[in-house]
Amino acid sequence: MNWNLNTEQFYVRFAHEEDIPNIYALLSTKGVVKHVPKNPMVVEAQAMDEARRMVMQFEAKEAAFWLVEDRVSGKVVARLSLQKFNWINASAQLQIEIFSEHKTQAVLAELIYAVATLAFEDLSLHRLEWMLLDQDKRSIELAQAFGFHHDGQLMSYFEFEGEWVDYQVYSLLNTDSAWQQAIQSQGLAKS
Amino acid sequence: MKFVANVDFPGGQLRPLEKSDVDSIIKLYQKQTLAGQSEATSKEHAERMITLSVQMAATQRGLMWAIEAEHDGESKMLGMLSLYDWQPTSLKTLMRLDGMPDLSSEHQVNALRSAIDFLAAKYHLRNFSFQCLPQGDEAIIGVLEQSGFTLQAQLRDFRRISQTEFSDILVYNQILEVTTAGEAS
Repeated sequence: MNWNLNTEQFYVRFAHEEDIPNIYALLSTKGVVKHVPKNPMVVEAQAMDEARRMVMQFEAKEAAFWLVEDRVSGKVVARLSLQKFNWINASAQLQIEIFSEHKTQAVLAELIYAVATLAFEDLSLHRLEWMLLDQDKRSIELAQAFGFHHDGQLMSYFEFEGEWVDYQVYSLLNTDSAWQQAIQSQGLAKS
Repeated sequence: MKFVANVDFPGGQLRPLEKSDVDSIIKLYQKQTLAGQSEATSKEHAERMITLSVQMAATQRGLMWAIEAEHDGESKMLGMLSLYDWQPTSLKTLMRLDGMPDLSSEHQVNALRSAIDFLAAKYHLRNFSFQCLPQGDEAIIGVLEQSGFTLQAQLRDFRRISQTEFSDILVYNQILEVTTAGEAS
């Protein structure tokens, strides 16, 4: 199975050894990680550790991570992941860490369509979840624009910097009309 | 060492599972209104559940109580109240209640309330969630609401029920306030 998900504008690929500075540049940026939420990295050794964890989680079939490289500039602009694979219930959680200047509907439509196609078609998953913070208004708007359904919220999911974090749960099923329509038009709505 | 405490509630008590509960557990799990219940429940499964209930409690991963209540003038095991996905760091847990038809809603509400009070006081848990199938035992929803739970999410097609079919899951939550002293109330 080919896990590389090249799109019109991006190489969506697994990380390799030379990507440590790319991972560090991305995950040390507060604007990228604040909506996860997590703290920005402060030393490059953390990126090395993160890269190791990405490999381990993939080998354990728990998650898959892709770096998103701009075809023209060669810059890594985002990390996409499917996490918490549940092979019995055929579901996974989508996570997107992206530089804010690239967080546009056109870019995310391209990336999410690529990863959802792999999830639904190749991995035979049934449900993708996107857990978003209330304050991440941009992602919520985009989730709605792509046809994700708001299932509700998971309250006090975990504690971060002394605050309890609530997640809004958005889901996309492979049977949803929004997804069926995306397949027919070979993409999610770009505007 | 005793890892599962006895907790009294009006009309009954929560107590650790015992070897003599095997027949009651089999009856309970043959009801088939909740996930995991099936006709094929065996003595071996029930015995293993009793052993696991002690291991889970000892490692704070979960907990299982027998619900014992008065019925027809005698005290009997009429259900089970269990905790799964117990996360001590996040002060949260997922609860499950399996009740025989003879276990009244009032007893179920009292059992849940007393368990939550106990868990908040002893383990400082503050986030209790409860998942049910929308097409399952509808009476449990009334019990949850009376016990202080509110519906937070309906996770679409969250649970696989056959090779090709999925069911939604209703997620109920009860979050206790944390006082300045750090205690849940």
